[in-house]
Amino acid sequence: MINKNIILAGVGGQGLVLTTKLICEAALKAGYDVKSNDVIGLAQRGGRVWGSVRIGKKVYSPNIPPKSGDILLALEPLEGLRWSGILKEKAKVIINISKIPPAHVMAEKEKYPGDIEERLSKKYDVITINATDEGKLLGTPKVANTILVGIMAKYLDIPMDIWEEAIKENVPSKYIDTNMKAFKKGYDM
Amino acid sequence: MKTKEVVLTGNQAIARGFYEAGGLVAASYPGSPTVDIMESIKRNYDEIYSEFSTNEKVALEVAIGASFAGARAMASMKHVGVNIAADPLMTFTQTKINGGFLLVTGDDPGMSSSQNEQDNRIIGKFANMAILDPSNSQEAKDFTKIAFSLSEEYSTPFMLRITSRLCHSRSKVKLEKREERDITGFNGDLSDYCMVPPNTYKKQYVMKDRIEKLKQAAENMDINILEEGNNKDVLIITSGLVYNNLKELGLDISIYKLGMVYPLPIEKIKQLAKEYSKVIVIEEMMPFIENELKINGIDCEGKKYFSFTGELSTEDIEKGLFSAGVIDKLKYKENDEVKTVQRLPMFCSGCPHRPVFDILKKSRKKVIGDIGCYSLAALYPLEVLDTIISMGASIGILKGMTKALNMKDKGEPLVAVIGDGTFFHSGMPGMVNMLHQMEDGENMTIIILNNGTTAMTGGQHTASSGSYAEEDDMNVNMVKLINSMGFDRVKVVDQFKYKEAKNIINEEIKYPGLSIVITTRPCALKFKIKETHFYVDPKICIGCRSCVKTNCPPILMKEYEGFDKLKSSINSDMCVGCSVCAQVCPVGAIKRSE
Ligand SMILES: Cc1ncc(C[n+]2csc(CCOP(=O)(O)OP(=O)(O)O)c2C)c(N)n1
Ligand code: SF4
Ligand code: SF4
Ligand code: SF4
Repeated sequence: MINKNIILAGVGGQGLVLTTKLICEAALKAGYDVKSNDVIGLAQRGGRVWGSVRIGKKVYSPNIPPKSGDILLALEPLEGLRWSGILKEKAKVIINISKIPPAHVMAEKEKYPGDIEERLSKKYDVITINATDEGKLLGTPKVANTILVGIMAKYLDIPMDIWEEAIKENVPSKYIDTNMKAFKKGYDM
Repeated sequence: MKTKEVVLTGNQAIARGFYEAGGLVAASYPGSPTVDIMESIKRNYDEIYSEFSTNEKVALEVAIGASFAGARAMASMKHVGVNIAADPLMTFTQTKINGGFLLVTGDDPGMSSSQNEQDNRIIGKFANMAILDPSNSQEAKDFTKIAFSLSEEYSTPFMLRITSRLCHSRSKVKLEKREERDITGFNGDLSDYCMVPPNTYKKQYVMKDRIEKLKQAAENMDINILEEGNNKDVLIITSGLVYNNLKELGLDISIYKLGMVYPLPIEKIKQLAKEYSKVIVIEEMMPFIENELKINGIDCEGKKYFSFTGELSTEDIEKGLFSAGVIDKLKYKENDEVKTVQRLPMFCSGCPHRPVFDILKKSRKKVIGDIGCYSLAALYPLEVLDTIISMGASIGILKGMTKALNMKDKGEPLVAVIGDGTFFHSGMPGMVNMLHQMEDGENMTIIILNNGTTAMTGGQHTASSGSYAEEDDMNVNMVKLINSMGFDRVKVVDQFKYKEAKNIINEEIKYPGLSIVITTRPCALKFKIKETHFYVDPKICIGCRSCVKTNCPPILMKEYEGFDKLKSSINSDMCVGCSVCAQVCPVGAIKRSE
């Protein structure tokens, strides 16, 4: 597999760190070099958070250089939009369309942008899903990110059994089954 | 046996390194970016005694004691934590090292989670310590181990300087076994450990001599690595993550990568400098290496081309090298600019700080802030805090400001807020100091936000956590403590009884002397508080937005079918049922679900 640069963007509390870790461990198991950035700064209190994973034969910096992102996992649409500037043309953008309004929108000072999918579709290959609702159907909205990872997995050269192993090792034991289902849900989309 | 390879963050790799080095005692005070070193030790390595101490000074002292006894000991803290620990540090570094000693400092170029951007390499040198600077997780682990053996070999305390990005960056690490070590016990010569004159006179020479010897050792140390390119024009000297960001450019260029950034292999660099027409130093923040080279008569450039503040990304390095004339083309374009609504951090659903700041905002008084989750009250939409400096500073500032204003008849009621974590960390001396020259008409109110944790850094315990969590080993009674200090006007409030809390806080603000208010609700996140959620009845709601102004994440004005005006709404998945919004609603439109 040629180098892949993955960006994750979301809101504090959405479990971005765990998702980053899951992708890293699957990549390691598949024999790749891997480096990631976890959120630095205020992780929990509803602020914007982002992370990155770089996978390939040899990776030096954990940082994704400008306009070099291959895949954007948007755990929240507005945050996906915010980070899209780092993507290559025609990059894959996978969005959980369940919105979390920021303070300025809550206070009606600004409007939550209504045209995020449209704006992104002009430049990138956009896949959308309400992963929060789909997660609820599977048992818990907590598996929303795993659905997105399942969708992404189709574009990475990492075998299914490795993903399964990585999921087993990285999610709390009582959620393993739901996470497996969530991953497959995304993968089969 | 195949060595096991895993992916670890820089923080986890340091914890692993300490474990493999046979480390026995680790102490820390929580602070981003290094907090997970101690969390990782607690999660994974039972062989190690680990504690989150009351503050960084105590953490350092605990580690010093263990090192005196012959144990390998580590203190870890964020960069500004070293300021708190600086007093014992500056004198401890004069002593003889028995068990290897490592101070880990998490610097924060770019200040993603800090109140300043100090470069602790300066403190390392100031304190006569040797400083290692890893560039990935493998090195974070390896350098931790190397630090212990060198610390013992050269009888010198070591500093491991790591930056926030590396603390949280995962990369591959090969695991090795733990080296089990016995300890010698403490039976040293008192002249090596009692740091009073005349014992300290000779220690100045000892410290100088140690650094001299390490400097010689640095000349051939294998963690200082020369990579020779074909091009003999330029030699780049760098260290840490900046090395990897530079490598990302894929240039055919010579690099001298330093693993130990103090003391430097000066002779080696002098030799190298002769072979190249130009030496360029690339480092984040201060020109530390650059200045060391210049002091030693080595002609070099650095900060002329690279920013003195923030991180140095691959693109920044590329631009710097371009302006230095080292490269003639820029490979990277700028990211596309995306303008959109900003997103600021805010108090969690059900946060115990929310009603307090709602009340303070309505009081329109000046509020001296401190460091913790409640620092968020300086941001939109609350914007209640008027000053924030450093942990514990609110109390002294409150006193000084009040005095000065009163002396020139400009007195006004002032409020200070401080969390329990910060109170125990460094607020207590300020509190005792308050007892000086209390005069009538000095209207001061101190609100102690006792949420039972240092929430901001991820919910570590404080000395009063025991009042909310039985399993905690410390349960200092805040109210008794304040009373026994000698304060007589102390009010305890349940801030989720909104009206009562509002009355008490406003009364205390009005009271023309010093009063202390202690709040009693725990952190909602740490203690996983979730009660049945609230909902808005749109038929009753008049759209006044009082609830929205509390800035609780689930609350949003929305359109309802059959109503033309917007009405409030609560996202039931997010609401944890604290009831504050219902209490600020003037018409009773917000109700608890069954
Ligand atoms: C000297 C120093 N050490 C550590 C930190 C990191 N830090 C930021 S906030 C905080 C704790 C705050 O706890 P508390 O005062 O109880 O407030 P809470 O976050 O619980 O509201 C710490 C330790 C710091 N900023 N400065
Ligand atoms: S972590 Fe605790 S104290 Fe901090 S904002 Fe959340 S609920 Fe409030
Ligand atoms: S009851 Fe109101 S203020 Fe409390 S958590 Fe729910 S929405 Fe927020
Ligand atoms: S406070 Fe009550 S009346 Fe005002 S907007 Fe909120 S729910 Fe409606």
